[in-house]
Amino acid sequence: MDRKVTDVKNGWRTFKTASLMGPHSGPPCSVESDKELGKITRIRPYNYNENQPVSELNPWKIEGRGIKFEPPEVSKISPMYLAYKTRVYSKNRVKYPLKRVDWDPNGERHPENRGKSKYVRISWEEATDIVASELKRMINKYGPETVLIEADMHGEGKHLAPSHGCPNRLMSMLGGYTVQMRNIDSWEGWSWGARNIHGCEPVGEMMPNANLYQDIIDNADACAYWAADAASTAMGFDGLMAMRLAYYMSDVGIKAIYVDPALNFTAATHADKWIPVLPNTDAALQLGMIYVWLTEDLYNKDYVATHCYGYQAFFDYVLGKEDGIPKTPAWASERCGVPEWTIKAFARYWGKHTVSTIIGNGGPTIRGPYCHEPARLQIVMLAMQGLGGPGVHQAKILEFNLFSNQYPLPYQGKAAPEIPHFAEIVRPPNSPDHRYRLWPFQAAIPKVKELCDTQPTPPHQSIPRCLVHNAILNGHVDWWGLHSFCGPKEEQWEHHEYPAPGYPKIHMIWSDSPCNVTCWNDGYSFAKALHTDEIEFFLVQHPWLENDSTMADLILPVATLFELNDIGDDSGSAIYQSVYRQRKSCAPVGESVSDFEVVARIAKKIDHDLYMKYTGNEVSDDELIELFWQASGVNHLDEKDDFHKNDIFVIPTDCETNEKVKPGLREFYEDPVNHPLKTPTGLLEITSTKIAEHFPDDDERPPYPKWIEHGVTHSEGLNSPRAKDYPLLCMSNHGHYRFHAECDDIIWNREFDAMKIRGKDGYQYEAAWLNPKTAAERGIVHGDIVKVFNERGTVLCGAYLTEKLIPGVVYVDHGARFDPIDPECLDRGGAINLITPNNLSSKHATGMVVSGFLTEVAKVTDEEMAEWKQKYPEAFARPIDNACGVCLDTWLIKEEQ
Amino acid sequence: MAKVFLIDVALCTGCDNCQLACKDEHVGNDWSPIAKPQPEIGQFWIKKNEEVCGTVPKVKVNYMPTLCNHCENPACVAAAKDGAVYQREDGLVIIDPEKAAGQKQIAEACPYGAIYWNEELDIPQKCTGCAHLLDNGYSVPRCVEVCPTDAIRFGEEEDLAEDLLGTEVLKPETGCKPRVHYRNLPGKFIAGTVYDPEEKECLIGAKVRLQIGGKRYSTFTDDFGDFWFKDLAIGKHNIYIDMPGYATYVQKDIFTKECINLGDIPMRKLTAEEMKDKFTTGEKKLEWIP
Repeated sequence: MDRKVTDVKNGWRTFKTASLMGPHSGPPCSVESDKELGKITRIRPYNYNENQPVSELNPWKIEGRGIKFEPPEVSKISPMYLAYKTRVYSKNRVKYPLKRVDWDPNGERHPENRGKSKYVRISWEEATDIVASELKRMINKYGPETVLIEADMHGEGKHLAPSHGCPNRLMSMLGGYTVQMRNIDSWEGWSWGARNIHGCEPVGEMMPNANLYQDIIDNADACAYWAADAASTAMGFDGLMAMRLAYYMSDVGIKAIYVDPALNFTAATHADKWIPVLPNTDAALQLGMIYVWLTEDLYNKDYVATHCYGYQAFFDYVLGKEDGIPKTPAWASERCGVPEWTIKAFARYWGKHTVSTIIGNGGPTIRGPYCHEPARLQIVMLAMQGLGGPGVHQAKILEFNLFSNQYPLPYQGKAAPEIPHFAEIVRPPNSPDHRYRLWPFQAAIPKVKELCDTQPTPPHQSIPRCLVHNAILNGHVDWWGLHSFCGPKEEQWEHHEYPAPGYPKIHMIWSDSPCNVTCWNDGYSFAKALHTDEIEFFLVQHPWLENDSTMADLILPVATLFELNDIGDDSGSAIYQSVYRQRKSCAPVGESVSDFEVVARIAKKIDHDLYMKYTGNEVSDDELIELFWQASGVNHLDEKDDFHKNDIFVIPTDCETNEKVKPGLREFYEDPVNHPLKTPTGLLEITSTKIAEHFPDDDERPPYPKWIEHGVTHSEGLNSPRAKDYPLLCMSNHGHYRFHAECDDIIWNREFDAMKIRGKDGYQYEAAWLNPKTAAERGIVHGDIVKVFNERGTVLCGAYLTEKLIPGVVYVDHGARFDPIDPECLDRGGAINLITPNNLSSKHATGMVVSGFLTEVAKVTDEEMAEWKQKYPEAFARPIDNACGVCLDTWLIKEEQ
Repeated sequence: MAKVFLIDVALCTGCDNCQLACKDEHVGNDWSPIAKPQPEIGQFWIKKNEEVCGTVPKVKVNYMPTLCNHCENPACVAAAKDGAVYQREDGLVIIDPEKAAGQKQIAEACPYGAIYWNEELDIPQKCTGCAHLLDNGYSVPRCVEVCPTDAIRFGEEEDLAEDLLGTEVLKPETGCKPRVHYRNLPGKFIAGTVYDPEEKECLIGAKVRLQIGGKRYSTFTDDFGDFWFKDLAIGKHNIYIDMPGYATYVQKDIFTKECINLGDIPMRKLTAEEMKDKFTTGEKKLEWIP
């Protein structure tokens, strides 16, 4: 059949975002669909010239050393956007409701077979009947808090039917629930450490962060990219502007020093100097450098005297006056693997030049055991060089919009767009407040308030996401802090427990974010918890059959954003901000419906009034889009009515106002008395008054930062006795080819060796990066099927040998899809978080540890593989797609014709 | 009138956008008569190649996209029967999917390996320059449109004439006259860090000389004691490192078939006696070859 080119004439064009930062949106892209075939043809960048020449958008610029950096004319979308068609039409899609074949809500439930038994197709009618009757039974028997709602980050960036929080909205109307509280997963070290020095909320990154890059370009000699990769984390939401910025920084001659166990994807093309450090030993390197500064007088003494509190005790510790061990470069070198001469050179270079640190999200430095120490030490180092002064900042290379209204690149307009969410997300227990509550200008619209802000009952108890498995296995957990996601730092000193007094244990889990095994800590324990009979019903709603879903009892099919109507707000792409209407790019795949509709169908089966309340009296998509536009905070700026005429309003930049805002912590730098930090003393607390007050004897997070290799909580360092059996440090980052658990099924990314290695059995194994030396010591060659293991279990991978990684390390990104051979101890999919430590960041820090832990790697012999095949014939008999890997057919029992 | 591609390798970040946009355009979409659908995996009409050079910690990564060169003298056109491969007026080389059925020799003829064989459809396939889009109002192919750093450009040879000066093509010896031009194709490097093993200090400002045949280059070690000689030709190089108070370090016949990290190079301090000798006997005697 001859087919003409599909252009808008033969089909239709929609604006979409493939941002996976749900609930937030990302840069808009243009999606072209074919009228005749009813499917998406292509996904293109959005051209900002479409409705007006970009000159009318008042383009921002930064300029330094004779070179300008300006916004490009098209959105800089990432490979994940370009390949999103493969996600919409993935062979991994859940196309209709699925029930685990041996789960009978009226009989035997066989929890022990979760992750082993397969699924059968059932009708929506049957599925919603089951859910409604189970909910009623549970609530009557135990109370509504017996339902644990897992509904947090990161799904598609939807607003009308958010990926997360629709079940919460319903349960709130049913009298409450238990909320799974998201731990500060990408910022553990900053949150539990750095915040106690500089007091910067909400996650402990340096704030405010206005105009940082202009100041760096004007004043800095170098940037220390400390485990920061512009080309990884941001690709799943904000696109590729961060890469352009990295190029610009190089063009103007800012020296790029990368401190990272791997030559990461940005460093690969930008590093002027790569200092490879063993994972999670950054604190030793930092202390060795501080020792040089102290002994060679290479720090800003005046600033420290006026801006810092409690530094003398810390300096004494560094110099060895406290414990008799001077933290010399030689001492540091033994621990971090960086040569002594390089530590001295780095310290002296930094001491004599103006240096900012650059951070990303995640990364090997701040998600390891005792991650608060390297995070605190980075702030101490910046403090010793005059934090807030010209060119001395902690700047983030991505996600410029988060938690701030003034950005490090001056691309914001007179107001920032904020679209409400028609759901309830990570609301703290017993609180009217929640993180994604309406902004005042949104709540000022009565109808928006009525629809979005009327959930009557808060959850009455919570379980931190990093403790859910323990809560089920032990029946009880207690923890410090984390009453709410991104809550104030004062929460750190509060103690909580589950079950909360007077409330029941959980017996049902309802998840719209089923990725605990692949993204959280000690995944195998999560599987073990699901194998007990504590959880009578595990319900999942999700577009794809992956990860925790494969242990669910019932799976409900969710449509992707591309199949739905919505409204999007881009505030993070760092080009221009915009609000855009998102029309359907294609019909929903199979019998899938939106997350909102999934829950509505359940509500309808419970009670008609409840259904009407839940759906806002069946408010239509069109009405909601209009209301959300009115509540966007920027509608008054749309003078030409672009939003209604063209489906997109691009917000002109407000350059003049932005230029007046002082960069970073400049006001504190200039006048700490009148512009104090939000710490008890108003100063940079090198010794934290609050930690000293609440946990004076905590040797894992002492009042001032230290090198902590072991403690009661962790034994994951190379000097640990465990290192005899597990001598490799495992590093795990936010992925380059995935966004956390998402996009593992992009068939075109799976063709890159650095992501997947096709083993000799044809299976696409998750790449385990190894330095050739480390591999040779183990008789491993590129492409071998290998096992990465410790006491917690085994994960199979494919060996990817590269000089981009330091010896002594195995590097596996988190997020590969779980493909259990034995769900409690052996995985073929390469989900590395299955074997991460169970324990928290430290005794009083409720973070998770997912990088910098001990493992060993060995080649999988033919004999061993044959034994497994004999022992687990059913697991190996599951069909695996040649391009997509694990897919619907892997888990489906097909009806006989 | 001919279209050309201009690829600046120094601007390529290896982001994969070009490779994925090409697949977005061609996998599962039938653009006959310009192209039949590309299979879901396995073909790379534009391919991001990665070359990792050196060893820890002196490592550089080169990314280079390769695609059909849309040659002026295409070997595939010559190999094809029935005019199954043709050159358009704009220079783009197109395989006619109908006529090319069964003609495996077309794929085999390409000296650049840019033509793939589609077993299922029994046809050879390759980059079309998105001719189906250019004929419908697009000014550039998909790979060019999505490049975040403008590393790939596309246009009329005449319009880009100035930018094409000093560029190279791949394997010019084939005589095919490619119309994909490359800038900043990287050469090999020799790098190292110079330090004093007794003091455990980097040596900053050491003079490093590099010699190959009659050519000589020199540089000084930086704040980290590092030196880099980049974009070297393949050949045998000699290195001499001088630092006042130290014996000259010499390493000969460093073969740059690959990039070379000489590692952390320990310098030997001169003894008092040797220091004296240095003035009497000259430096030559004090060369130190580990």
